[in-house]
Amino acid sequence: MSSVRPRDAVRRATRAARWAAIVVALVVSLAPVYWMVATSFKTELEAARLAPTLWPHEPTLANYRGLWSGSLPFLAFFTNTLLTCLATAVAAVVVATPAAYALSRARFRLRGVIGYAMLVFRMLPLVVLLAPLYLLLLHARLLDTHTGLVVGFATFGLPFAVWMMKGFIDTVPIEIEEAARIDGYPRWQIMLKVVVPLVVPGLLTTATFVFMEAWNNLIYPLTFITTLEKQTLPAALVLAFTGQFKTDWGGMMAAATLTTLPLMIAFFAVQRSMVRGLTSGAVAGA
Amino acid sequence: MMQRATVRVVRDARRVPWLDPMVLPAAGALAVVVGYPVVYTLLLSLQDYDLLGTVPERFIGAANYRKLLDDPTFWQALGNTAIYTFGSVAVAALLGLALALLTESVGGHRGRLARTLLLTPWAVPFVVVAFLFRYMYLQNGGAINAALLATGVIDAPISWLNVSSLALTAVMITNIWTMTPFFFLLLAAALAGIPNEVIESARVDRARGWSLVVQIKLPFLRNALLVSSLLMIIANFNDFAKIWAMTQGGPGYATTTLVIYVYRQAFENFAIGYASAIGVVWLLLLLAFAIAYLRALRTS
Amino acid sequence: MARISLRNVEKRYDDTLVLRDCNLDIDDHEFVVLVGPSGSGKTTLLRIIAGLEHVSDGELRFDDVLVNDIDVADRDIAMVFQNYGLYPHMSVYDNMAFGLRRRKLAAAQIDARVRDTARMLDIEPLLARRPRQLSGGQRQRVALGRAIVRDPAVFLLDEPLSNLDAHLRVQMRAEILKVHRAVTATAIYVTHDQVEALTMGDRIVVMNRGRIHQVGTPGALYDAPVDRFVASFIGTPAMGFVDCSVERHRERIALVTQSARIDLADAQACVLRQADAARVTIGIRPECLALASEDEARAAEVVVRGTVQVVEMLGAEQYVHAATDGGALTARIPRHRRVRADDTVTFTAAARDVHLFERDTGRALR
Repeated sequence: MSSVRPRDAVRRATRAARWAAIVVALVVSLAPVYWMVATSFKTELEAARLAPTLWPHEPTLANYRGLWSGSLPFLAFFTNTLLTCLATAVAAVVVATPAAYALSRARFRLRGVIGYAMLVFRMLPLVVLLAPLYLLLLHARLLDTHTGLVVGFATFGLPFAVWMMKGFIDTVPIEIEEAARIDGYPRWQIMLKVVVPLVVPGLLTTATFVFMEAWNNLIYPLTFITTLEKQTLPAALVLAFTGQFKTDWGGMMAAATLTTLPLMIAFFAVQRSMVRGLTSGAVAGA
Repeated sequence: MMQRATVRVVRDARRVPWLDPMVLPAAGALAVVVGYPVVYTLLLSLQDYDLLGTVPERFIGAANYRKLLDDPTFWQALGNTAIYTFGSVAVAALLGLALALLTESVGGHRGRLARTLLLTPWAVPFVVVAFLFRYMYLQNGGAINAALLATGVIDAPISWLNVSSLALTAVMITNIWTMTPFFFLLLAAALAGIPNEVIESARVDRARGWSLVVQIKLPFLRNALLVSSLLMIIANFNDFAKIWAMTQGGPGYATTTLVIYVYRQAFENFAIGYASAIGVVWLLLLLAFAIAYLRALRTS
Repeated sequence: MARISLRNVEKRYDDTLVLRDCNLDIDDHEFVVLVGPSGSGKTTLLRIIAGLEHVSDGELRFDDVLVNDIDVADRDIAMVFQNYGLYPHMSVYDNMAFGLRRRKLAAAQIDARVRDTARMLDIEPLLARRPRQLSGGQRQRVALGRAIVRDPAVFLLDEPLSNLDAHLRVQMRAEILKVHRAVTATAIYVTHDQVEALTMGDRIVVMNRGRIHQVGTPGALYDAPVDRFVASFIGTPAMGFVDCSVERHRERIALVTQSARIDLADAQACVLRQADAARVTIGIRPECLALASEDEARAAEVVVRGTVQVVEMLGAEQYVHAATDGGALTARIPRHRRVRADDTVTFTAAARDVHLFERDTGRALR
């Protein structure tokens, strides 16, 4: 049957073209990340060359050593960021889960209003609220403290966390909760002992999302933290760039790599259940 | 029959309560940390407020808003924001869709690995992305110019971030690089959720290739596309780190979006009142857009 | 053990009336079945008794105590859900012990009760497993066990067997009845399957569209249905109906229809005279109809003629579905009679096997 051969050839050609396209996409996605890591192992001179080298010809750990023992308290920046982001993730999930549970199951008259309010809060230009928030933290004596920063981060992340957790909680069959009611458990305990254990992947995904959002936040630490030792990584990178790192691209990329690592690990760890969280909320409606 | 000594009575079983105590911590936190500043912002927008306190604040009514209308930088910032946001989201959504369709039929370990690796750009912190691309966009010594020169696409190195006409595009490319994996992830999941029977009966009806995509698959993706686009538009409107760390809004005001403009007015010019007015206008625009969008979503 | 009584119970969702005029008395240790098509309100009624839904109007009493506003947990009930409602993240043992732990019983006591119940239901080897590792039938038993272990006053079962395959269903029916005999609780069982209702219930509550049509023993429902709905719902194959009109000639009263001749018994004639109805429907159960020759027909009290639509062979017997001028009838015929589609057939029946219903209201005339 001679008609089969041309169709086979077309199919093979499309498959080859498809893989070519995917390879191009992979290169475009991964090349910059490779570039960052490669540069971090280059000497200052090599990194600033007019004609950049594809891989470090004189690889060195000097940049990383410089971060450890340099004039900037890089370790402090790292731990500050790690601790504030973890605290934010925990705080946001702890506060968001009961709210999401109530929005999902309970009937109360302000339910629709609060649901919409969450949506509106997500749209707010937070930079605008910066000044009043600054003054608020000033009065509460939380300026230049990590607590104040966590308050800002956590509230920023709350609407999204509530939305995501509600999506997860909606998937728990209500019969299980009715059985627990018959077994005599009050609502708080039903939430803690029956519902929460069933949405643990959702909890982790939401926590990771909040963690990532907080890690990415530049504007809050830049505005609220004034002492350099208390600063977080994003703000520290920006501040350092106007000073020490101005042309030390190698050093800058080393700092960048270390800033990226925790986020990337967290991201790839939960990436699969992230889809479930986003789609269950997204497809069902914003 | 009833063995328990104390019996719980469900009070006012028929009346629906106003609030649920479980919602209070979240609602309370938001009311204080967000609600109060929103109200305060509205008030500030009607004042001439100097953050440094060198000049006492005074109530000036709608003067900030009038100043806003005559301020060419405001309009430029608004235009930049629109181009940056809608342009980036549109391109990223298309690229994400293309990637989702491309990788859909690739199975096995290779497929899974490829799909995971394609998500990488999203996992890089925004500040890092900004500095990385700033390095790559360098006129002399930047990787992008080096690659373009080596492949003969250009003859002389381009100053990406220092030429007004190119800077916004360069920043948008960076934004697209970061955002595409988000669309890719969601659309790939939505594609995987299309019931097999639909695809199979379409094949029986001899739908193939392009028509299969457009007529059968796209309608299933519509909802996911719309919702993810809305999420990203809102996020892009708020993008500070990506732009600030690359260009600080320059050269001139070429890459100044509303966020950057508000930040500079508030914390470099210390004109909080004016900055608040801009913010109020911004919020109203975004709200109007979101309402129209959601209504379009509901009628689908 | 508990007596349950409902007085004029109503249930409204927003403005829609879902249950109305519900009056019911259930005795201690009875096994009562709520049966009806989907949407009849039987599950809603069960949930109201459980306390998972609130009574919009009317009174619900356990042992003469008003329980309208008493919380679920304090009603001393146990429920078996249609989809079992087992806690997925707990072992079978913990599923059964969960409720007991809440009551602050001693660990040894809890252990004894769980194991005794598990033994009774033959699930002792499964105690360490999770629900997802069990088959449908096993999960069903665990759900039952969880209810039994609570030692409640009332057992509530919401279509517990509808997710099982037919063979398992028959087996579990017997198991549930056996368990009920062993415990001292009252049981209320919801199903849409009238066969299940007839085989299991001490008394049956037939519901449709939010109303209770009839409450009675299986025999009472079968022999004396109170309206056309109950008559057609109970019994397989279903009762056949033929529309007739009533003719009154001074003292005489007769039922007239084109395809049938009906000689009423005296009692029936009496009822008809008093009822003052102009249009009547008669109902005859399939086993009361016999295939007859013309000679046999002349001597019979009731004769109906029709055209065969479908013949179903069931092995030991056949069902003949026939259409008449006033309605459709089904007859159970011995297997050796030759009947084919489109044949004209003559059925005979005794007058006392004829049920009379008012055409407009569906009410039975007795």
